Amino acid sequence: MRVSYRWLKELVDFDLSPRELAEKLTMVGLAVDRVEEVEGDALLDLDVTSNRPDCLSHLGVAREIAVLCGTSLRYPETRVEEAEEETARATSVEIHAPELCPRYVARVIRGVRVGPSPRWVVERLERLGQRSINNVADITNLVLLELGHPLHAFDLEKLIERRIIVRRARAGERLVTLDGVTRTLSADMLVIADAVRPVALAGIMGGEETAVSETTRDVLLESAYFHPLSIRRTARAMAMSTEASYRFERGADYEAPRRAADRAARLIVEIAGGRILREPIDVYPNPLRRERVRLRRQRLRRLLGMDVPWAEAARILRALGFHIERADEEELWATPPSFRVDIDGEDDLVEEIARHIGYEAIPATLPAWSGYGELLPGEEKRRALRAVLSALGFSEAITFSFVNEQWDALFRSDGARVCRLQNPLDETRAQLRTSLLPGLLESLLHNLHHGVRSVRLYEIGTCFFATAEGERPIERERLGLVATGRLNERAWQDHHRPFGFYELKGTLEALLEKLRVRQVAFEPSPQEYLHPGQSARLLLEGEPIGDFGQLHPRIAAVFKFRQPVFVAELDLEKLLQTEGEAIRYRPLPRFPTVVRDFSFLVSRHVAYAEIERSIAELGIPEIVEVRLFDVYAGPNVPAEKRSLSISVRLRAEDRTLTEEEIAAIQARLLAHLRDRFQIELRA
Amino acid sequence: MRERVEHIRAQFRDEVRQVADMAALARVRDRYLGRKGGLITQLVKELGALPPEERPTIGRLINELKEEAEAALERLRVQLEEQAEAERFERERVDITLPGLRPLFGAPHPITLIRQRIEDIFVSMGYAVESGPEVETSYYNFDALNIPPGHPAREAQDTFYLSEDLALRTQTSTVQIRALERRRPPLRIIAPGKVFRRDTPDPTHNPMFFQVEGLALDREITMGDLKGTLQEFVRRMFGPQVRTRFRPSYFPFTEPSAEVDFSCFVCRGEGCRVCKGAGWIELGGCGMVHPRVLRGAGVDPEEFTGFAFGLGLDRMVALMYGLEDIRLLYENDLRFLEQFGF
Repeated sequence: MRVSYRWLKELVDFDLSPRELAEKLTMVGLAVDRVEEVEGDALLDLDVTSNRPDCLSHLGVAREIAVLCGTSLRYPETRVEEAEEETARATSVEIHAPELCPRYVARVIRGVRVGPSPRWVVERLERLGQRSINNVADITNLVLLELGHPLHAFDLEKLIERRIIVRRARAGERLVTLDGVTRTLSADMLVIADAVRPVALAGIMGGEETAVSETTRDVLLESAYFHPLSIRRTARAMAMSTEASYRFERGADYEAPRRAADRAARLIVEIAGGRILREPIDVYPNPLRRERVRLRRQRLRRLLGMDVPWAEAARILRALGFHIERADEEELWATPPSFRVDIDGEDDLVEEIARHIGYEAIPATLPAWSGYGELLPGEEKRRALRAVLSALGFSEAITFSFVNEQWDALFRSDGARVCRLQNPLDETRAQLRTSLLPGLLESLLHNLHHGVRSVRLYEIGTCFFATAEGERPIERERLGLVATGRLNERAWQDHHRPFGFYELKGTLEALLEKLRVRQVAFEPSPQEYLHPGQSARLLLEGEPIGDFGQLHPRIAAVFKFRQPVFVAELDLEKLLQTEGEAIRYRPLPRFPTVVRDFSFLVSRHVAYAEIERSIAELGIPEIVEVRLFDVYAGPNVPAEKRSLSISVRLRAEDRTLTEEEIAAIQARLLAHLRDRFQIELRA
Repeated sequence: MRERVEHIRAQFRDEVRQVADMAALARVRDRYLGRKGGLITQLVKELGALPPEERPTIGRLINELKEEAEAALERLRVQLEEQAEAERFERERVDITLPGLRPLFGAPHPITLIRQRIEDIFVSMGYAVESGPEVETSYYNFDALNIPPGHPAREAQDTFYLSEDLALRTQTSTVQIRALERRRPPLRIIAPGKVFRRDTPDPTHNPMFFQVEGLALDREITMGDLKGTLQEFVRRMFGPQVRTRFRPSYFPFTEPSAEVDFSCFVCRGEGCRVCKGAGWIELGGCGMVHPRVLRGAGVDPEEFTGFAFGLGLDRMVALMYGLEDIRLLYENDLRFLEQFGF
């Protein structure tokens, strides 16, 4: 809402510069976004909250200023000189839908001379962003800006039978509105009709045919009160928003129609001539009223944390137009004025008083408290995961929760059901993700497109799985990782080394290690989006919690990746709930450890873990650790074999091992491996 | 004899001057001071054969020569050692201006950085962190928050709907209701999380962003407590020089409602590009919890009062780091993310 500083000055006395006024209004709840100085005036852009339609006018803003400054409001002159002829003889008004239109006031002015508006009217409208049309239409707009009540002027002669009927539209009825658009109406819409057809979309826009034009002699001024919900519904359905609908749908003043009609009639006669017929028609079958609200002094004190002088509280309410009764030292009853649609409880009165004593007057305190603070369950672990991932070169991504359906389908496990948005911004992103990978891969792609060839990203976020119709989906917290390119391309040594499967597995192992989660196992992954030869499934306490590996070349082709991409996705819920192994000190060994290294050839089809497990199964207590230190395949190794090098650490807890003992263990170990895996020791 | 001593001295001095390394030094030491056959050692041995009257004078002379030789050789040894060490250091010298070999670090997302700071501040003030689902029913997203059907905030253009009754939450205020179902007052919680609105992305809008909700309910919570709490938060988050301002506003779920601003930390309230000349930056909305919201959650507003606030995280990130286009937050461009440390 844009208001003129000079116009406000006509309605209320105040001694503030435009800047000072802007500051005061902002602090009373009418935020001023901008002050524009123009010749002889200043224009203030107000951000009026949706609960205060009463401030969508100069009068409404002036009322707040009057309370602020302790001055009084000058209500614009509404007295009219009426002609002999009675309005009721010139026209009639029937309301067939009183639930949608509780009140309809009609004034008739005969003998107007429609033409251009005088300079001051044109200027006033243009300053506030409105175009001048003709003197009669301009006055209705001017009164709207002044009093906030929307009006419409009909050419009385063009109304069939010169009658007004307020009714619901008939389905399929048509109306050409002032903007020249033919509108097809439905039965839930309220229209203003004459004897046969709709002539206006009630509270939103008038019809073209019955509009005031150069040839108009007699004007019917409509000043009504429409039900907010009905106007909002129709305006939405028609995708229209007008100055009138904006006010009616927020709630107009049901006591204003008469005054607004008089004010406009007076101004029309002033600038366009004509005579106002006697006694306007005012159809108002069930007068509306507001409920009075009790305010307890103790409630005011309790909510604000300060004692507001009781007389000052009452003064503020009175100045805002409330009717105060039964006031004593401890409580009062206040009836809100008809234009205050937002007041329906005691705390609303508290806000009115607080606004006008100023929020800055409320002392800042800290509440006493005997509770304790705590992070979300699992948050320490989440933070630990983030720290490890950062240290391992993964940056954190946050991607959109709605994804491309085709991409999401690539990573969706069988049977998972998806949730779709009814009204997505973008039809290609209409589904809630069931995997973090499509979003992460899209981010990876974005980086590749911008010349960043080595990318490691992770995301911790929610995935959504539909359940029964109408039920909230299951939301699962997941961790996703994507990686491609070199391990550390910025280093000036060893920078060619690529990120590969084992780096990915090592990253996951580091995460598990950080959480001290030990009951883990790896097995081949059944996921079809992964390279069958470079993928694994991670199990925690025997339950699968995720899959990882190289992205299947076929999927990589969908994203047009030209380098291997590695991905992992884990369900975080079980991982975060699993208790990590407690840290317990173990005494340091008292006797020396002997290290024996062996390199041997073994079939490629023997999994390394089998060898390690098989050594453990030997149950030799002196073997305290087996550590792999090299894997080799290539020249000098037969095609079906590979060379493994392990380091076996031997120690007894109660003595130094003798050469004989060591030799015996070594012999037993090698015999076992030869027997089990047909290994051949290398030199 | 005297001549021999002088001759050896001259010869020694001459040879010592030529020593260039430890091996040569050892050779010279051996030649003059070697236990067997060292020239000076020999002199000492021959001393006994001299007539007794010559012995003191010649003895002193030989001794002087011996001491001179030992001292000279020791000096030379130290010097050679230092020289050798210096050469080794020179050989092992690195170019300290070559970049260090750092492991490659990743960066946390700036939203996470700010979120964790906010959590830590409020946890230290006695708040428990809560969370709630991102897909919500109309009850939690609207009705329970005093946003009845027909209210503009329910309009489809702001909300992503999954069905008539299910939508992506448009505000973290939903967690107020969820928390009230789990905990009874008195309580203090904050709930950071993702929210969704149907805004076409532009430099200041994304259809998904983060908020942090706060709720404190107790028997004597006042609007003064709301002011004090957010003031304290702003002081810890942005520094002691930053001021806060509360001005009336409107939210269906609070009454009285306020908008909280903080003085621009760039221009200190003078007006600049960051605060668009206003000197103040909007931090979020807040107010005293509406009695209807409390009653709906089974809390008697006569017994308990409380405040709630909702702050925009993305905005805080943008302001804190001088970000001009918040679309960058969800593009996950490493050139962007890496600017936030590790």
